[in-house]
Amino acid sequence: MRWPRSLTLRLALAAGFWVAAGLGAAAWFVTDVALRQVEAAFDARLAGLLDAAAAAVAADADGRVVVARAPTGADFERPFSGAYWQVAGPGGAPATSRSLWDQTLPTLPTGATAEVLLRDIPGPRGEPVRLAERDVVLPGAPEPAHLAVALSRAATLEEIGRLRTMLTAVFALLGTGLVLGVVGTVIAGLAPLRRVRRALAEVRDGRRERLAIEAPAEIAPLVAEVDALIAANRTTVQRARAHVGNLAHALKTPIAVLRNALDATSPDVALARSEAAALDRLVHHHLARARTAALAGAAAGASVAPYAIAEEVAAALRRLFAGRGLAITVGGDRAARVRVDPQDLTEMLGNLMENACKMARSRVDVSVASAGGRVAIAIADDGPGLPEAERDAVLARGVRLDERMPGSGLGLGITTDLAALHGGGLEFGERPGGGLVAILRLPQVPGAEPV
Amino acid sequence: MRVLIVEDHAPLAAQLRDALAEAGFVTDLAADGEEALFLGETEPYDVVVLDLGLPRLDGLTVLKRWRSAGRAMPVLILTARDAWSEKVAGLNAGADDYLAKPFVMPELVARLQALVRRAHGLVSPEIALGRLVVDTAAQRVLLGGVPVRLTGLEYRLLAYLALHAGQVVSKTELTEHLYAQDFDRDSNTLEVMVGRLRRKLGDGLIETLRGQGYRLATA
Repeated sequence: MRWPRSLTLRLALAAGFWVAAGLGAAAWFVTDVALRQVEAAFDARLAGLLDAAAAAVAADADGRVVVARAPTGADFERPFSGAYWQVAGPGGAPATSRSLWDQTLPTLPTGATAEVLLRDIPGPRGEPVRLAERDVVLPGAPEPAHLAVALSRAATLEEIGRLRTMLTAVFALLGTGLVLGVVGTVIAGLAPLRRVRRALAEVRDGRRERLAIEAPAEIAPLVAEVDALIAANRTTVQRARAHVGNLAHALKTPIAVLRNALDATSPDVALARSEAAALDRLVHHHLARARTAALAGAAAGASVAPYAIAEEVAAALRRLFAGRGLAITVGGDRAARVRVDPQDLTEMLGNLMENACKMARSRVDVSVASAGGRVAIAIADDGPGLPEAERDAVLARGVRLDERMPGSGLGLGITTDLAALHGGGLEFGERPGGGLVAILRLPQVPGAEPV
Repeated sequence: MRVLIVEDHAPLAAQLRDALAEAGFVTDLAADGEEALFLGETEPYDVVVLDLGLPRLDGLTVLKRWRSAGRAMPVLILTARDAWSEKVAGLNAGADDYLAKPFVMPELVARLQALVRRAHGLVSPEIALGRLVVDTAAQRVLLGGVPVRLTGLEYRLLAYLALHAGQVVSKTELTEHLYAQDFDRDSNTLEVMVGRLRRKLGDGLIETLRGQGYRLATA
């Protein structure tokens, strides 16, 4: 069975199920107890009448059973009233109450039972009656006499029916009340959520700045988080707007110059070319900024093994530098993972390893090592290296490792930005035997050390 | 050298076609992925310039299908997407080089020529065969240190033979690599051209193997 989508309906269904089960059991129990009481009272009355009948009979001098004083009561006198008695002695027809008229009760033969025996049987008119019978030994009589008393159950059955109807009605009413109570509670309990939803819709429509709702303790944190999200969103939009403004200004000016240079009667090709180059630089710069800025919110959460990424980049670089016969190796800790977006790590390693390939004479070696909660990825080449004094300058954006080498020069800048964004850093060292080592340090994902 | 240019932006495709034709390439154009896939699978190209963002079938898929079909021609990816993850994906899908837009034409030409050389196991742009030197970068031919004046088609014929020096090159192969796909191919033109080359370079350099093709002596 699939649960309905409505929370109220779910809770009402669950509550309804338990209320029905609980009240059903209680109703059965209560009805059972009440019916037993009614039946027991009826049987007690029947036993009393049987005792009265026993007291009414006696044995005469010949030992025959006679009814000395007939049991009294109008009901025994009125024919087919529903109250009957019958006494059967040894020999002869049994004596009966007037109410039995010409009928007799279907009693057991004398001697069948000395104890009181109770049975439900059809009465003289077919009505349900309860029969109590027993044998009595009368003083002076040679054989026991058989006594029987019967009472109509019609009134009792009617009473039981009334009791059942009443109890069912009471319990049904109680159950309905309980379920309605639960539904009401749920609806009332969810009211703050509906208020939040309405307020959120208003925020979306621009009719409200933020939620700022007085909410119960369970929902207050949600309201606060949503408000924080709205605020962060707004800041991002404002920043984006400012950035777009700057970008438009930065790009449109060179485009205007470019157009004018081309529209002139004698187009200024040199100017157009230098403006196009300026545009290229600007686009590069702003795209790189946009890329790192876009990641600022999404930096957390991802984790990746630098070894695997380095291998992928190495495979790509082997194709790219296929003509140079470079040996590109990856080694070290295969299992270590860093908390960095895979695309960002590819970007960092791509830039660093490509630089290494450009500088290298014959080989580039990448090694991954983890220590002290950080993973260090060392990229070593056997190229000319870099004097210590120049290393800081190179790390700054826009400075190329070597002006003679092709490349935009932004690669290292992006790499340092990304490393910082992910809580890491980049530094340069000297390779033993000559060459440069770039070491990228990034925060390790805990619990991922090799076993 | 025959190059397939796969680029859906018509003005850039035209610029590429003109620049590569000027650099001595025979050019075919494909403006969408499906056309590129078909041409690359059926025509023998010496090198391919492949844009990644293509209509109908993206460039990376085209490249992967070529490679799985056993097409091994060098491919240079030309794209505006210059993130390293894209570069790695392109190169590991079988590309041989990657150039990000915007680019300058001379760099593209130089890289394509380097790819063609690399495919033939050559490192230097100059192919030296005894007294004959074919400079594929400058599209120049020197015979004993003296420049030889050749037409564009003559140069392309000689350069192709030089890249396959010592090997027999059939007329069909030559036609396929020297003319664009829609060119009316006539083998007589080829014979006339070889004759003219022989006159300019002297007998003995280009050998005719009857029924098989031509061969340029290695020394």
